[in-house]
Amino acid sequence: VNIATYSRRNLFRRRGRTILTVVAVAIAVLIFCLLRTVVWEFNQGAAQAEQDRVAVRHKVSLTMQLPKRYVEDVRSTPGVKAATWANWFGAKDPKERTPFFAGFAVDQDSWFDVMDDMKVDPAQLAEWKQTRNGAIIGDNLAKTFGVKVGDNMVVNSDIFPGDWELKVVGIYQPLRRTVDRSTLVFRWDFFNDDARVSVKDTVGWMLARIDGAGHSADIAKAIDKKFDDKDDQTLTMSEHEFQMQFLGGFAAVLSAFNVISLVILLIMTLILANTIAMSVRERTHEYGVLRAIGFSPGYIRGSVVGESVLVALVGGATGVLVTVGLINGVLGPFVEENMASMFPYFHVPTNAILLALGLAVGLGVVAGIVPAVLATRRKVTDALRRLD
Amino acid sequence: MVPVQYNVRSLLVRRITTTVTALGVALVVAVFAGALMLKEGIVQALKAAGRDDVAIVLRKGSDAELSSAIANEYLNLLRGHPQVAQGPAGAVGEVVVVIAGEHIDGSGLSNVVVRGTPAEGFAFRPEVHVIEGRAPKPGTNEVAIGKAIAGRFKGMSIGESFDLRHNRPLQVVGVFEAGGSSYESEAWGDVEVVRHALGREAGVSSARIKLNSKTDFEAYRAEIEGDKRMSMKVMREGEYYAKSSEQLTAFLTGMGLAFAIMISVAAMLGAAITMNGAVANRSREIGTLRALGFSRVSILTSFLLEALVLAIIGGAIGVVVVQLAALIKFPVMNFQTFSEIVIGFHATPAVIVKALVFSGVMGLAGGLIPAIRASRVSPVEAMRA
Repeated sequence: VNIATYSRRNLFRRRGRTILTVVAVAIAVLIFCLLRTVVWEFNQGAAQAEQDRVAVRHKVSLTMQLPKRYVEDVRSTPGVKAATWANWFGAKDPKERTPFFAGFAVDQDSWFDVMDDMKVDPAQLAEWKQTRNGAIIGDNLAKTFGVKVGDNMVVNSDIFPGDWELKVVGIYQPLRRTVDRSTLVFRWDFFNDDARVSVKDTVGWMLARIDGAGHSADIAKAIDKKFDDKDDQTLTMSEHEFQMQFLGGFAAVLSAFNVISLVILLIMTLILANTIAMSVRERTHEYGVLRAIGFSPGYIRGSVVGESVLVALVGGATGVLVTVGLINGVLGPFVEENMASMFPYFHVPTNAILLALGLAVGLGVVAGIVPAVLATRRKVTDALRRLD
Repeated sequence: MVPVQYNVRSLLVRRITTTVTALGVALVVAVFAGALMLKEGIVQALKAAGRDDVAIVLRKGSDAELSSAIANEYLNLLRGHPQVAQGPAGAVGEVVVVIAGEHIDGSGLSNVVVRGTPAEGFAFRPEVHVIEGRAPKPGTNEVAIGKAIAGRFKGMSIGESFDLRHNRPLQVVGVFEAGGSSYESEAWGDVEVVRHALGREAGVSSARIKLNSKTDFEAYRAEIEGDKRMSMKVMREGEYYAKSSEQLTAFLTGMGLAFAIMISVAAMLGAAITMNGAVANRSREIGTLRALGFSRVSILTSFLLEALVLAIIGGAIGVVVVQLAALIKFPVMNFQTFSEIVIGFHATPAVIVKALVFSGVMGLAGGLIPAIRASRVSPVEAMRA
């Protein structure tokens, strides 16, 4: 009898039990993949971040403003190719169709030169420069607000009171999949001239495109040095670090995810080991017979571990199939639409699938070890005597 | 009724299966209880800061102190109402700002709330006590820091100083505790010094109003929100804290519970496998019991009871183990207020009861089908097999 055949045939002896175990393993793999996807896609932002862009903020506080004249000083720093600025608007949807989206007042002449991972039609860009209350928005936000180019949209702010009436003059196209498609930008001069804005002629932060990613740290230092003896000092950092400040707390959640991932793997192993141990106990007599007719203890142990790996693999594969369907088909589009600022792109990474399958096989072996030892622990004569 | 001892002994005989299943249940219950404890931890941190007889006033449209602004001249309008407690501590206008704190362990920057408070600010909150050093002198650049951030950031220990603006250092002279509330993650200085450094002399961020009694709140709110000269929002302090963290609370506990429930499906299957195996192995026994005169219902109850005992043993282990989490405290950023709060796991009797009930339900759900199978065993056939 071939060892694989024996393992495989054994699976069908308690069909109900095997099916339950496969389902349990599949669920564990599904949750594991889901967690890995969240961690992976969140960290993807770091890997994909523009290496040649730096952000300049107030050294003391994110909420403190910098004088607008600093922009020229940044532009004249050697190595800086282009610079632009923005103010946080604290945008809110008056009808609360979305809990959160990012809104900035930006410079219409330089914003999209620096943010060149978003593409705007040249005609729309020209139109923006002619329209004081013009806004350019992401396609997701346009869908949420139900507006198209040429429509007016009203936004509120939790900092600047009242209704702000903007005219949508363009939709930007993301050139990278990690670009947030729910952002609103409108003209800084329109914002700055409004009586409700008390922070006149100041900017929230600046963004600079620099010459080559290699010496960004030197350029950042050079920028900060320029303002070192001024009242408002600056802190220059990579764009990704800058964005992380707003999502900082999420790092703690991710470490919780890693703990839960481990717990799930542990539970999966326990369930698997339990199933195999039960089957082994039921077959005590049979193993005695096998050994009496000459099969070695190693052969029997191998068949037990093989059975465990087989169940784990079938469960793992089922789990992966369900995961891919669920995340890439249902959950992904939902997350991309509703949590775009954190997860502009949400799909199962291939390495999570491979990792899950690898772990299923590995833990299948681990789960099989104790039952395998139990299977051959008894003396042949004792095993044969046991009948139940 | 089959004696319970029969079930207990059956569990003992199949030691390995029993242990493994109970451990599986224990892990799930630990995750479940952990999520509930985290929620309690957040509630604890925020409830401590909110009092029933204190109202907080923000500019209409602002959800947090950080984005709110109230002009100085309105402070007197807020104070001049019959519901407000007399004396200087009746109304406290404070300026709130977040600054970048540099972690001492080199792990980067986090936001730290700096609160500029008038001389009455400390007395206004009886739960605040200086536990090390002394309280800052009003009108100076001295500050006291909450114990949750003391020693965690550069310049934030007694005797050190940090900048609010270039060359305007704040000198740390004391550490305070605040009954576990989120104030413990803040640095408190003088309102005039702080807002002068920020160039915000014209106003404050928020005002807290001490009411004569908590029943005065509705009347006070109606008067202020109806005052056409200003556009303000009045909330009970407790309501403000609950609201300003509702997204964070919902996010963390929702996530924890969702995972616990998903994993519990796997654990229920585990329990079902175990009980199914028990039924299959013991069909002769069951047949004998039936022949002895035990009814189908007693067999059903007996097996359900066995599953229940198994799950509750696991649940109890899980609840005990998860108590270790109470030692963990970690900072999370509240994205609604932009500030960091330190939260921990907090066990209450209700959490423990819920976790045990949860494990019981898991056991019953997993044991139901096997128990029904057991009750259907035909005595004659089982004994012949």
